[in-house]
Formats: sequence, structure tokens, C-alpha cells
Amino acid sequence: MIEIEHLSKRFGESIVVDDVSFTVGEGEIAVVVGTSGAGKSTLLRMINRLVVPDAGRVLIDGQDTATIPEDELRHRIGYVIQGYGLFPHRTVAENIATVPRLLGWDRRRIAARVEELLDLFQLDPGEFAQKFPHQLSGGQQQRVGVARALAAKPALLLMDEPFGALDPVIRGKAQDDLLAIQRRLGTTIVLVTHDMNEAFHLGSRIAVMDQARLVQYAKPADLLTHPAEAFVEQLVGTAERPFRLLSLASVQDAMEPGSAEGDPITVSATLREALAQLIWRGRSALPVADAAGAPIGRISVDGILKHGRSLA
Amino acid sequence: MSARAVILRVAALLLLVAFVTAPQLFAFAFAPLTANDAPAIYNQGSLLALTLSHVRIVVLATLASTVLAVTLGIFVTRPGGREFLPLSRSLVNIGQTFPPIAVLAIAVPLVGFGEKPTFIALFLYGLLPIFENTLAGLTDVSPRTLEAARGMGMNARQRLWQVELPLALPVILAGIRLSVIISLGTATIGSTVAAKGLGEVIIAGLQSNNVAFILQGGLVVALLAVLIHDGLGLAERATARRLGRPVDEIA
Repeated sequence: MIEIEHLSKRFGESIVVDDVSFTVGEGEIAVVVGTSGAGKSTLLRMINRLVVPDAGRVLIDGQDTATIPEDELRHRIGYVIQGYGLFPHRTVAENIATVPRLLGWDRRRIAARVEELLDLFQLDPGEFAQKFPHQLSGGQQQRVGVARALAAKPALLLMDEPFGALDPVIRGKAQDDLLAIQRRLGTTIVLVTHDMNEAFHLGSRIAVMDQARLVQYAKPADLLTHPAEAFVEQLVGTAERPFRLLSLASVQDAMEPGSAEGDPITVSATLREALAQLIWRGRSALPVADAAGAPIGRISVDGILKHGRSLA
Repeated sequence: MSARAVILRVAALLLLVAFVTAPQLFAFAFAPLTANDAPAIYNQGSLLALTLSHVRIVVLATLASTVLAVTLGIFVTRPGGREFLPLSRSLVNIGQTFPPIAVLAIAVPLVGFGEKPTFIALFLYGLLPIFENTLAGLTDVSPRTLEAARGMGMNARQRLWQVELPLALPVILAGIRLSVIISLGTATIGSTVAAKGLGEVIIAGLQSNNVAFILQGGLVVALLAVLIHDGLGLAERATARRLGRPVDEIA
């Protein structure tokens, strides 16, 4: 768990982060959103003390980060930046091994960990371990960047626009992969982005920043139904609101008993995806199947609309 | 490297080795350049010994320049040394502005004749390219790479040795190569203050009006320069290739 308490930072005359407090629970993904220049990156960089706060403190599992030597603190916190900053003179394996090497792990343990991570990120060790970053595609570089940040099994991962350099097609896949890996490892993540779709897709909680202040910190659905300020409403997009709400709910929430004709929709799909299917396939209802493919009910346009109205 | 390039390099090396170890074999080629039965091949000392001491002083002076210039380059790119950048630049520039012959003139009364004044002249003359290239190489490291290094908990020393210097290496090597080549030529004037070197052969030729001697001295220096230039160039390209940079970017 990380607790951010009254963090503030000035650069000269301008205040960049103004008295920001929030708590990220174990295994949660907190996404910090806001316009550029709102202080998101500075806030993130104060967590691993790349920027030293003027006031306030950060507690990780109850321990004040100011009491931990900087380098040691950063060995324990994964850090991924836009563009990844991979070391161009080191191979993929050497890049991933950076922090374990700094920590003085023995060679066998490092090799095993590198292989494990390459597997986890679907990069074949035989093919990729000895490649240099310039030989990789953008998506592969991104995966190596995240693998490198996770190498020493940090409990906390900080990500600053980690998908910013990817094209939209690869970005969606990379986000799904990150979610899957995060669920598997249970890593707590604080992620900065200016992409609202990304925030709603990934965040278990979203922190909205505007002009150095934290305007609202809430679950995605609460952000839509109870925006704290006009700025939040504007940021989430009033017209988008119902669809974002549907994308946060799963088929399970609006499933009805009974059956219907057609190819089934899986129960884990979002209501937004289900509605899209219903519209596109010209049906008023479709069957719902569980993960194994067995039919367990039906989902209808009326049911989704009813559920959507109840959320608003 | 193409087969033709390899053959040319090996041939140049063989020619150099053969000439300095057994110069008499080449007497036939130089004889037409002499007049009045003057000797065709330098006969006042061993060409091999002169070549070795020539290379030795160049290597020593360049090593010393490298140590100072790289250290200085590192120092002025650290947060604490940044304000010394203009001063260091001026000092190094002065080293380059002073003609080596003037340095010899000043140094001889201070340290006497022989290798010392030559060493000083070459050392000063060689600083600038290495210093400027060290600066260029170090300031060229992407801020993103450094941010990532810092964010992963590398301290200043680890960032320098594990990230900055390896990335700057091809550019630093290019500076060293330039410095070595300049020194190889410049070292010939060391013979005017009694340093052992290939300048002796050239000066002996000038004094006795023997074109064959002048040519021999010049030829050995030129072959050395071409071969060393080439060898260091290969090393640069090898390090640059590892970084995935096109070779011409650092040339």
C-alpha cells in the first residue's frame, strides 16, 4: 500500500504539485490523469524521489520513503517512462538484468529471472535475449521496458505514459497484456496518462489532476456518476459517459435467464462490447456463455439499456 | 570489410615491416633519387629503432592527453564541474593554438633537449580533439536513457561507468584517433631537439640534400599513420555497431 500525504512541489515561482494526498491499495492500479502541465509526472517522480518534495511525504507499506537511501528505494520501485529509455549498448537480457545486477544477484539467478520475464512477456528468449534495443519493434521495446522494471520483483511499479509511443492497435494489446500480468503478479501500479480511454481501461482508481491540484480521486464509475467539478465532467466527456459506464460493467451485471439465437457472448465481456455486438449483428438478444463455452443465460438490448439507465 | 580492403591493409603492413627491418632490400628503388654516390638508404642509425621510438613517444603522449582530456571532459559534464567548462575549453584551445615548434622552443630551456620537450608539445597538441569529442559523446547521451538509469537506482558513478562512458566511447575513440594521427606527423619535428624519431631521417636528408632519405622518413610515417588510422577506425566501428548507429554518424 502506498500513502501519499500532502505532497507539494514548487519550481521557482510556479507551484507544480499542490498538497496532493491519496492512497493506493495493495494490488490496485491508480491512474493519474489530467491535462499536460497539470503536475502528473512530477507527482509520480516524487514517489521514487527523482524529484524531492518540498512538503509532504510518501509511505510505502507504512515506511516513509525519505528514510530509505535513494538508490535502495529505487531498486525496490519499478519505473517505466515514455520511450522506455532502454540502454542502447546493452542486449535485451542485459537491460532486463539491470536492477538484479545492481543488487548483486548471482549469475544463475539473474539468467533464470531474465528467461522467466521474457516468457511472461511473450518474447522468445532464444530469439530476443541477445538482441539490441534498436533491433526491436516499438511494441517489443515497450515489453522489454516493463520487464526490466519488474526484474527485481518490485511491489510497486511507476509508469509515466508507458504506452504513449505506441500506435493505437499495439497500444490496446499492450494494455491488455499489462492488465493480465498485473493480475498475475499483484503488483501495485501508479500510472500517468492523458488518455482517458486508457485510464478507464486500466484504472481501479483514477486521480484527476488540474493545475497542480488533485481534483478527484475515485473509482472510475464514481468519476462518471459523481464528478467533483466541471473540469472532471469535461475531461471524461459528457457524451461519452453512458458508454464509459457500460464499458466498466460486465455482461454478468445485466444477464437475464433464458436463451437466444446466435453465437454466444462470453460472460466476462463488457456491456459496451455486448451492445456493439447486438447492434452490429442486428439482434435484440444474444446467448451468454461462461468461460468454458456453456450457455448460462441471455443478454438483450433492453436489458443493457435498463442497466445503463440505472447506473446514471 | 571486403577481401580487397583486407589484402590492401595486410600488404601495407608487410611493406612497412619489411622496410624498417631490412631497408637495404629497397635500395634499388631509392638509388635513382640520390646524387654523387650518396647512400640510398638511411645509414646513420637503425630505421627499426627510430620507428619504435617514434611510435613510443606518440603513444605515450596520446595516452597522457587521453587521460587528462577524458578526465576533464567527465569533470565538466558533472553537476559540480559545469561552471569550469568555459575555462577548460580555453585552456585546451590554447594547447592547440600554440604551434608545437613554439612549444619546443619554450620547453627546451626548461626541461633540456631530448624526448621531454617533444612529449610536452605532442601532449598539449593532442588534448583538444579528445576533449571536444569526450564532451560531445557525453552530452549526446539521451536524457531518457539517463532518466531511466537514475530511476532504476544507479548512482552517479554507476551511471558514468555503465551508461555514459560506454555510449560515448565511439566518439571518444574518434577523438583519440584524430589526436594520434596529428601526433604521428608532428613528432617528426621532435628530432630538431634531439628526440629519437623518424624526423631524424628527414632532417638528415634535408641537411645532405638527399631526397631518398627525406622520402624514406616520410614514407614510414605515412604508412604508420594510415595503418593506425585504419586500426582505430575499425575499433570505433565495432563499438558503434553495437550501439546500432550508422558508422558515418561518428566518422
